[in-house]
Amino acid sequence: MGGLSTALSIGLQALEATQGALDATSNNISNDKTPGYTREVVQFTSNQLTQSGDTVSGGGVSLNNLQSIRDELLNLQIQNQNSLQGSADTQSSSLQQIQSYFTSNGQDIASALTAFSGSLTTLSASPSSASAQTGVLDSGENLAKSFNTTAQGLAGAQSSADSQVTQTVSQINTITAQIASLNGQLSQLQTTGQSGGTVQDQRDQLVQQLSTLTGISVTQTESGETITTGNGTPLVMGSQSFSLQTATGTDGMQHVLDSSGTDITTAIQGGQLGGAIQIRDQVVPGLMTQLNTLATQLGNAFNAAQAQGYDSNGNVGQNFFTVPATGSAAGISVAITDPSLVAASSDGTAGSNGNVANLSAALTTDLPSGQTAAGAYAGLVYQVGTQASNASSQSSAISQSLLQLTNQQNSVSGVNIDEETTNLIQYQTAYQAAARIVSTIQQLDSTTINMIS
Amino acid sequence: MRVSSNLVPNMLADLQQTQSQLNVALQEVSTGKDVSVPSDNPGASADMVANTIETGQVDKYTQNVSGILSMVQTADSSLGTVVNSLTQAVSLGTQGSNGTTNSSNQQALANQVQSILSTVVAQANSSYQGAYLFGGTATTTAPYTADSSSSTGYTYNGNNNTNSVAVGDQNSVQVNLPGDQIFSNSSNSVIGSLSSLVSALQSGNTSQIESATTSVNSALNYVSTQRVFYGNAETQLNSQDTYLQQETVNLSSQQTSLVGISEAQAATDLSSAETANSAAMAAAAKVLPNTLLNYLSTPTS
Repeated sequence: MGGLSTALSIGLQALEATQGALDATSNNISNDKTPGYTREVVQFTSNQLTQSGDTVSGGGVSLNNLQSIRDELLNLQIQNQNSLQGSADTQSSSLQQIQSYFTSNGQDIASALTAFSGSLTTLSASPSSASAQTGVLDSGENLAKSFNTTAQGLAGAQSSADSQVTQTVSQINTITAQIASLNGQLSQLQTTGQSGGTVQDQRDQLVQQLSTLTGISVTQTESGETITTGNGTPLVMGSQSFSLQTATGTDGMQHVLDSSGTDITTAIQGGQLGGAIQIRDQVVPGLMTQLNTLATQLGNAFNAAQAQGYDSNGNVGQNFFTVPATGSAAGISVAITDPSLVAASSDGTAGSNGNVANLSAALTTDLPSGQTAAGAYAGLVYQVGTQASNASSQSSAISQSLLQLTNQQNSVSGVNIDEETTNLIQYQTAYQAAARIVSTIQQLDSTTINMIS
Repeated sequence: MRVSSNLVPNMLADLQQTQSQLNVALQEVSTGKDVSVPSDNPGASADMVANTIETGQVDKYTQNVSGILSMVQTADSSLGTVVNSLTQAVSLGTQGSNGTTNSSNQQALANQVQSILSTVVAQANSSYQGAYLFGGTATTTAPYTADSSSSTGYTYNGNNNTNSVAVGDQNSVQVNLPGDQIFSNSSNSVIGSLSSLVSALQSGNTSQIESATTSVNSALNYVSTQRVFYGNAETQLNSQDTYLQQETVNLSSQQTSLVGISEAQAATDLSSAETANSAAMAAAAKVLPNTLLNYLSTPTS
């Protein structure tokens, strides 16, 4: 066959291919703001023209494929940065919460220590005054309370990190199950020769979400993507997902177990899960230990100073603070309720202030830790401040790098309205031209038919 | 290279950044500090712990200095009264040992010296804010009480301890001398010598009166030297007060340099943050709606 009908069929193919291109363009424009959408580019192929003598057959154009434009390497980089950011953000927000307890606000340990030292200085001038003694007792109680409050603040941050672990693990399980099911769909689509671009977009989007939850490693296999945690615990293999579990450990905290029940808590790095575990198992316990040491040593030093003197009744000074053996910062309290039991006297008479210097010295001389109470507390403030500042500057640095990567990804995969508009005009013209071919052939056909009649 | 037409992420990042700068600038202006939480400047926050405690201490030291100064002044003025009384007693004794003074006049003189003795004991029992000044550290019981069994007629109830009050981190000032050191010292006893003078005047024995008067005179000299202690304490407290005032200024300027911000700097920062924020918003408003479609004529049918 050749002649006009060949030209007509070529024209028809052009109309169909251009319609397909218009569909793709329309779809790209529609999904301009769809998160994770990857633009699709039409691939035209010219059909083989066969010439035999005067007769030309075949030819024309066909829409070969709709190709999703994606850069897997960029995706991997974004996943890595997401994990880092998830971890930094989680730590930063916990540390913001923690550092409010170490901020000078009148209720913090530094303020309480100031008031307590001040009350002793006042007691030095009027050791037998009931109001000066009450001042020492009250400000001692405030100091104990400020230790309690700070310890509760740390414990609060720890327990919210703990519940975050449970929540994050359940989110991870939901997402890995979805990814596994999309992997299955994708491999079916691919066996039937379809591109499955949209399914791939959805899966990429889920993998990005997963990477903010925990550090992952993604490898492409024949059966789809294989996803493991950073340490190699499988999460998704092809169309199968492996749920993580949580169980209460001996420390009372939620531990993360892999699908076979092995404890992988310490191996988890990155993402919100890694960040929460870091706060819960490293940062808070580190600060808590130092705070407990400070409370214990300060309490004991002050009690020892009390024992060196005599109270207003002429008795040897009794313990001022009750210091629990464990959790001293959370549990420290004032042991006495009678202000006259403050041991200001060094000779047993009520008017002596000889022991006030010892009491003050308990606050101002080095504790067994090698630092004064104020020095040890200042060290804690410095640590909390540095950690909070590091976490937040790390988070903003990663935001910058993520912005760059997202821009790069957008420039590869994102829809550019200007480009699509240009394509639209181009395909419009192409469609008009193809339509003109059809109408021209129609005229020629009519002419030929008229010749016959 | 293909350029992404999606300006939203960049614009959003810019807006967030300028907004957060604006927040920081606003907070600095409203609080007058550039360190509100430890993470703003961990080093300065740690240094502020020591500064806060020291500022509180200096405040209390200053209160102590003014409190003790009044106490020391009270003690000093008591001793001034004692010195005057003793001077008077010496002249009465001299008058009593004069050969022309008859026995009834000596009795009158004895009564006068007796009343001087009461005055001196009253001064020795003087108190400041309810605490006895000359009982050593036994400030709750009157240092001298009448005791007929004692040769001087009075018993010392205090002890010979002293108090030193903290007026600086490494500085404390001794604020009292025990009463028995000033008034009933074994070699120069004020109360003992006055009491002997009373007895001597009552007995009318001229040589006894003379010797008792000499003792009173030497007690007078002794009290005057003891009084120097209180004068020295006052001087020390006054100079410590000056030092503490200076220290308050130093600590406050240290605080400003650690966490404070200059008003001018803060105002400038705020205004430039405002400008940057407005500029970012204006740019976003101008750029975001722009596509090729704005410039194409709508297809006509």
